[in-house]
Amino acid sequence: MTNQLKPVWILAAKDLADARRTKILLVLSGFLTLAGLVSLAVAAAAQKADYLTYIEARDLLVSLGKPIADLVEPMFFPLKLLRGFIEHIEIIGGIIGIVLGYRAAAVERGNATLQLVLTRPLSDAQFILGKLLGNGIVIAAGLSATFLIASLALYAIGGIGLGFDSYGRLGITLMAATLYVGIFFMLGLLFALTFRKLPSALLAAFAVWLALVLVAPQIGDTLDPDNQVAGGIFRTLNIAKPQEIEILKTFATYETVRDGIEQASPAKHFERLSFAILGIKDTYLGMPIAQIMQERIHDLWWLIGVFTALAGILLLRPLNPTRLIKEN
Amino acid sequence: MTPVIRIKELTKSYGAFTALDRLTLDIAKGEVFGFLGHNGAGKTTTIHILTSLLRPTTGSADIMGADVVTGSMVSRGHIGYVPENVRLYETLTARENLIFFGELSGVQEAGSRALEVLELLECPDLERKKIFEMSKGQRQRIGLAQAILHKPSVLFLDEPTSGLDPLGIRQLRNLITKLNQQQDMTIFMNTHLISEVSKTCTSIGVLNRGKLVYQAGIDEVMMRFGNDRALEDFYLSVVPGKAA
Repeated sequence: MTNQLKPVWILAAKDLADARRTKILLVLSGFLTLAGLVSLAVAAAAQKADYLTYIEARDLLVSLGKPIADLVEPMFFPLKLLRGFIEHIEIIGGIIGIVLGYRAAAVERGNATLQLVLTRPLSDAQFILGKLLGNGIVIAAGLSATFLIASLALYAIGGIGLGFDSYGRLGITLMAATLYVGIFFMLGLLFALTFRKLPSALLAAFAVWLALVLVAPQIGDTLDPDNQVAGGIFRTLNIAKPQEIEILKTFATYETVRDGIEQASPAKHFERLSFAILGIKDTYLGMPIAQIMQERIHDLWWLIGVFTALAGILLLRPLNPTRLIKEN
Repeated sequence: MTPVIRIKELTKSYGAFTALDRLTLDIAKGEVFGFLGHNGAGKTTTIHILTSLLRPTTGSADIMGADVVTGSMVSRGHIGYVPENVRLYETLTARENLIFFGELSGVQEAGSRALEVLELLECPDLERKKIFEMSKGQRQRIGLAQAILHKPSVLFLDEPTSGLDPLGIRQLRNLITKLNQQQDMTIFMNTHLISEVSKTCTSIGVLNRGKLVYQAGIDEVMMRFGNDRALEDFYLSVVPGKAA
């Protein structure tokens, strides 16, 4: 390991040991897993009920003389059951990211250990990189465990085994989730390293989370003309896609503003990408991964872009020890 | 003798408030320098600038020839620092804390060096103890251990005896003398205890409202004042007013 990277790894390893010892990783991912499992259990039970209804209907038709060969087998898409799980990552994952990011700086500031660390011969960038690496591993490990448990639960609760393609889809979603939680981690870290008072940093981070995760997507959804009727207004009125596009052209400014609000939310980009990849959104059901990625790649780029921008700000912005140690 | 710490016209201001006012000071190699002053006189600000935690408003300082602002990566390699009320990673053991800080300072085989330092500080039994399980005096020792692991040339101690009982103070005083004489460390110690200065230091400086008002070798001080009481009277005469 080069001399430049050694301090980065030492700082990262310390944060990893700390996460293991304080059981924070276990508690946070356990909470996310539990929430995910509850939603999965509800969805799986609903799917099982649908399946039993189908069996009953099929048996009835067969008993009435309908040839079984004429009956179309229903198609089940197990990954669709992960809708609630993804929504929990959007909300709880963002909170976990902020808490980890805030904690990464606040523990050092509160304990006054930051003073000791910053008197060592290491640069600000090495300090930040160490924090990003250590906590990045914590986030990736926690989410991986949560996804693994969710995939096992799909089998255990719904009796549905996943194929290679499904694991590929889960892998892409896991990567997007790591980027998404990473964005909120860096937000929490940035605020905790910037604000004079730590409680203000936490409050500000949660205000941003509220705006990006709950308010912006809600405004976008509520103002969407197609969402005014369950199932979609255009579909309900049997309006074809070309006509729909023509109609929406007359609301171009309105639609730009509405979409702009939605686009500002990393939660929406994560949701759009995940819902497409997992086939939760009907439009993408059964579509090959490559084709979905082609259509939704901008969502992934958006997440990567924000992630990179925040990492850049953290790495390029010099630490202000005067502010960081003054509180103590 | 060549100064290991050179401070020239060092000033630190916070808006209209001047915490440190054109401080100029040289500390020679092998000295135990006692920096006396009331609370809020600017002693900690001085240490924070010398350890590169704070940037001076004007003026300069260097440690072993390395500027504390422009050459801070080098100057930090020469120093060890024990803040007032030293606090380490509470959930880690003494050994884990020492390995962490040692490795960050580039110490090879930090594990064996940690044990060596604990033996030097006469507390090898603390090796496996977690910080939150330790007494104030024990924490202070581990704080001192983390500061000397990498064999720094200069050791900064900010109010090292604060909160210690008489036995702890005496033990710490012996350790400081040992580090100075056996490990050849130059020691810069902030304090407001006259008795500590006369028993431990080889030279002193008195700071009042950011200004250096007196500086002398301890021999000269003791020749002039004779005892702690007379020195205390002198100190209170040059640093008048209510302590902050």
